[in-house]
Amino acid sequence: MKKVLIIDDAAFMRMSIKMMLEKNGFEVVGEAEDGIEGVKKYKKLKPDIVTMDITMPTMTGLEALINIKEFDPQAKIVMVSAMGQENMVREAIMQGANTFIVKPFKEEHIVEILNKILAI
Amino acid sequence: MTDVNKNTMEMEEDTQKGRFLTFSLGKESYGIEIKYVIEIIGLQAITEIPELPEYVKGIINLRGKIIPVMDVRLRFKKEPREYNDRTCVIVIDIKDVSIGLIIDSVSEVLTIPEEDIVEPPKMNKGFNNRYIKKIGKVGNDVKLLLDCEKLLSEDELEDLSEVL
Amino acid sequence: MVKVSGRNTNEPMLDMFIFETSQLIEQLEQSILSSEKSSCYTPTAINEIFRIMHTIKGSSAMMIFNNISTLAHHIEDLFYFLREEKPNNIDCSTLSDLVLEGVDFIKIEMEKIKNGDEADGEVSQLIERIKGYLSILKRTNISTGPVKDPEKVDTKGQRYYISQDKAKTSIYANAFKAVIYFEEGCEMENIRAYTIIHNLKDITEQIFYMPEDIIDNDDSVEIIRREGFKVYIKTDYSYEEMHKFFMQAIFLKDLELIQLENVDELKQFSTVKEAVVQKNPIKVPSLHEPDKRKKEASDKEINSTSMHQSIISVSVPKLDKLMDLVGEMVIAEAMVIQNPDLKGLELDNFQKAARQLNKITSDIQDMVMSIRMVPLSTTFHKMHRIVRDMCKKLDKEVQLEIIGEETEVDKNIIEHISDPLMHLVRNAIDHGIESTEDREMRGKSPSGRITLEAKNAGSDVLIILKDDGKGLSREKILMKAREQGLLYRSEDDMSDKEVLNLILIPGFSTKDGISEFSGRGVGMDVVTRNIEAVGGSVSVDSILNNGTTITLKIPLTLAIIDGMNIRVGNSCYTLPTISIKESFRPKEGDIITDPDGNEMIMVRGQCYSILRLHEVYKIKNSSTSIFNGIIIMVEHDDKTLCIFADELLGQQQVVVKALPKYIQNFKKIKGLAGCTLLGDGSISLILDITGLINN
Repeated sequence: MKKVLIIDDAAFMRMSIKMMLEKNGFEVVGEAEDGIEGVKKYKKLKPDIVTMDITMPTMTGLEALINIKEFDPQAKIVMVSAMGQENMVREAIMQGANTFIVKPFKEEHIVEILNKILAI
Repeated sequence: MTDVNKNTMEMEEDTQKGRFLTFSLGKESYGIEIKYVIEIIGLQAITEIPELPEYVKGIINLRGKIIPVMDVRLRFKKEPREYNDRTCVIVIDIKDVSIGLIIDSVSEVLTIPEEDIVEPPKMNKGFNNRYIKKIGKVGNDVKLLLDCEKLLSEDELEDLSEVL
Repeated sequence: MVKVSGRNTNEPMLDMFIFETSQLIEQLEQSILSSEKSSCYTPTAINEIFRIMHTIKGSSAMMIFNNISTLAHHIEDLFYFLREEKPNNIDCSTLSDLVLEGVDFIKIEMEKIKNGDEADGEVSQLIERIKGYLSILKRTNISTGPVKDPEKVDTKGQRYYISQDKAKTSIYANAFKAVIYFEEGCEMENIRAYTIIHNLKDITEQIFYMPEDIIDNDDSVEIIRREGFKVYIKTDYSYEEMHKFFMQAIFLKDLELIQLENVDELKQFSTVKEAVVQKNPIKVPSLHEPDKRKKEASDKEINSTSMHQSIISVSVPKLDKLMDLVGEMVIAEAMVIQNPDLKGLELDNFQKAARQLNKITSDIQDMVMSIRMVPLSTTFHKMHRIVRDMCKKLDKEVQLEIIGEETEVDKNIIEHISDPLMHLVRNAIDHGIESTEDREMRGKSPSGRITLEAKNAGSDVLIILKDDGKGLSREKILMKAREQGLLYRSEDDMSDKEVLNLILIPGFSTKDGISEFSGRGVGMDVVTRNIEAVGGSVSVDSILNNGTTITLKIPLTLAIIDGMNIRVGNSCYTLPTISIKESFRPKEGDIITDPDGNEMIMVRGQCYSILRLHEVYKIKNSSTSIFNGIIIMVEHDDKTLCIFADELLGQQQVVVKALPKYIQNFKKIKGLAGCTLLGDGSISLILDITGLINN
């Protein structure tokens, strides 16, 4: 089973993503509610893939992305964004995020994305 | 996954359709839709509650859950009868309200095909009729099919008329 | 709790949505109110509000509550502008009004969602006003420089994870044309296209694409949706390799990939744009040295974050269920330990184990109780909003002081005291606190003061609401009571306290004109009724021109009480031990019967009326001679009653269960507070002392 780390400050979003992924054979090994915690958990848990919210307190998704990529350039990271964040998303792609998904999204979409990224 | 749930639920509905638990009250035989029935228990200690209509006998402890019990005989304004070892309580659940129905004895579970279910005859003011939703024919017998919701809900109306 | 047909797998998600959004809304409200109080929105507050709205936007969009999501989006935009442009001439009060209106809208929608109704509120008007406000702000603040795009990030000097040494070879063997279509509804097609270009840079530098302005031109999204995203490249990669590369694209719906024999097609691009790869290394914000700006804003949050991690949220029905189970366990334990089969057996080890079990069950019981306890702070802080709105409408000045907000009471009780408390606060501002001029005339400080205090008092919690307003006038109360025909005793015989308590009687309202906020025909009696419903009481104190104090006394918990079981005939009843003063066997000479047949008893020179339970509840087989039974003297709120029963059975902690709904629907049965299960599995009815006394 592929291990996923969910980084999002909204408990609702963490729960939604977790439920969607667990239903589809992923193992959610950890959740973090801000960037700092997320980076720490990445280092500890070594997940196969990360879903990363962009807007978070204390350390944004972008900063966390950069930190994780510095620790592990091979890290696979999917940004979770919302409409109006085009520039942040583009920046995240520049910084090495594999792809992104736009809220609101459907279960089949996030599953498809993760599978595709993991297949690379 | 949601679809699967839905399917099994529909299947359950299907298998329950047309199935009735029948019981007797004096000479008459009644039927109650199986989907309402939670379980059948023997009579147990009833705690009386003051200031209630006579047909609400009180409350019982069903494995930690407290549910009211209603004497269906009294509800239908029939003669009361001593409870004996054949007296049963049918626990039903309607719209999240659980209630026990005290009846003379339980008969069996029957499937009554739709074509054998007919409307009850219209009577102008026969109140006996109002808890009967339909009438089912089984061979030469007639089963009076109960309208469970009315059994519970008409109380309020009655209360109102008492007040007025 | 929540009923929506057909929701099963989504239930926990909806619960979480409701839970988290409600919390965020409360946090938001506090933030707005404290900002308004200090008449400025600090950068921290603006950022917090922005973030909250962003989260609500995302969550409600996921749940397809589109009106909430749209509203949140516009408030987010507004605070984005405030955060980035830092305009210095914002009209704080208008801003607060707008956002609070948004808060109220979301609250109403949340209520609908909780009840399983459709969240169908009309929000477009409010959104128009928010947009209007924002555009005025933008117009009056152009001088501060060009308005940046939302979410714009300063891209200068940041690190790129791209192989950096491509420049050396420029002669590629193959040329390709690819047309890419993305799946419908994947959103941000331009950024998806950008992702492809970005990834292509690892393969080649000779990339040309249409539309070109994928980043800056919003129309490019439409073009890509309609015509696909066209890419021309030169590379050493083979067709297969390129095909594989493109197939990896996320949300790819359709791909046309053609190998170009003739490179002419490439030449049609007059200005050959080669993707430029930036090479300057950049500073990455390090984990260990968060920059100063962030640190300031986040110090507090880090604390609360670490606290958050050890806390999980549990739905109240689950707690209720747990409470029930613990109650059943206590009963089951009694059934095992006091099992009749054990009678006469010497069981030393069993008894030892039984004692251990008993200790553990009572510890669990205490623990479950404590889980249900929640602080009053949320309820108290809601009052800030009431005070704000009232003051604004009535043009008064009031300071609200909160003391003891950490005091805890049972979750079920909290739900019952919120409305009464709001009513009391409204009353205090509307009727209690004078206008600024009046206050100055009387030599008071121009701004009124309301103190809301909570403290523990034994098994009760006291909630005290104190204002320094004009107080209640004995004469006015008496006059009003006379008009309303509420006086049944000689006025001169009534103590001040008794007169004050008249305002708690139904039908009493001291203000003639009904204002918008309080006294809508209902008054203090509703407060009294609500508080009594949870077994509490209300008392009033007041000094003319000095202020009024209203004290609510509420029990800590409803779920478990210390009870005394009593027998009447074959039935068992339970009395709350706390209200029992004493019990005794009456002697012949003590009983007095008045001409109406009412029995009374003399105890130490005082006369009390007797209530025979067997008569009230028409119980058969009970002793009717008062000298064969026992008298239990109970007290509530300085009122005393003597209850006559057959015998006392003993004292124990009981788990209070509500009577079944079906029973409650008939009518409220006087004097019954609920029921409980006894050790032998039988049911005992719990008597409601207040109900019996006032009967």
